[in-house]
Amino acid sequence: MSDAASGSALDDLPGELLMWVLIVSELLVFGAGLVAFMAVRLTDPAGFAAAQDHLFRAGAALNTMVLVSSGFLAAQALRWREAGARGAARWALVAAAALGVVFLIIKGAEYAAKSADGIGWDTHAFFTFYYLLTGFHAAHVVAGVVLLMLVAWRDAVANIQAVAMFWHMVDLVWVLLYPVIYLLA
Amino acid sequence: MPALSNRLIAAWAWLAGLGGLAALIAAGVGQGVPRRAAGAAILVLAVLKARVILARYLDLDRARAWLSGFGWAVTLWAALVLGLYLV
Repeated sequence: MSDAASGSALDDLPGELLMWVLIVSELLVFGAGLVAFMAVRLTDPAGFAAAQDHLFRAGAALNTMVLVSSGFLAAQALRWREAGARGAARWALVAAAALGVVFLIIKGAEYAAKSADGIGWDTHAFFTFYYLLTGFHAAHVVAGVVLLMLVAWRDAVANIQAVAMFWHMVDLVWVLLYPVIYLLA
Repeated sequence: MPALSNRLIAAWAWLAGLGGLAALIAAGVGQGVPRRAAGAAILVLAVLKARVILARYLDLDRARAWLSGFGWAVTLWAALVLGLYLV
């Protein structure tokens, strides 16, 4: 295959190629983690089901709404910035970041409730995966909030596009993580 | 305020609806909804949500071959998770 031919397929991807490398890498890490979670579940399905009953499903469902709404604002910010509406784009980015903070507050309340119940990462294998996967995802949310605020300030189109792609990756991971950890009874 | 994108609003509405449906199905497991069928439905809905994010938020509907590739990868992953769930 010629360089031109191999380049043309990659050129079809919107945004920076490196952001897609990051997105694929993150999907592989979380995807493997969730498959490992399901495989370990086979060793103690009753224990996993009992542990899952301690989760706050309504809070996680609310967080899904919060995150997809934040993703909408980030995507809209990019459209507005491309159209030259800088002020609206900046406010949309700040609102997207604020919803990221709301996600973290709900997640923090969930962790605090587990701690109050005496549940830690070593209580059961379910909670080891729960804290590992949701905690790693929450760390990405923290990074995303910082980056959204950064590009609300340094608002070049390329900056906003890269950070919006990162934020959508965080969104994408959550819509795959949430059903496996919280909903598969 | 400039106009909102109708395509993004539609994507958000799909994500909200699919997410709500998944939560309702999960809540029905203890009340007559078969567990295995519910698990399959929940994972199908997760694949659909992922596809909406890939197509509309990440703009892969402008690169249909890549959208198809990512869609297949997520579907195969969900099939593996479902297989482990149903064992």
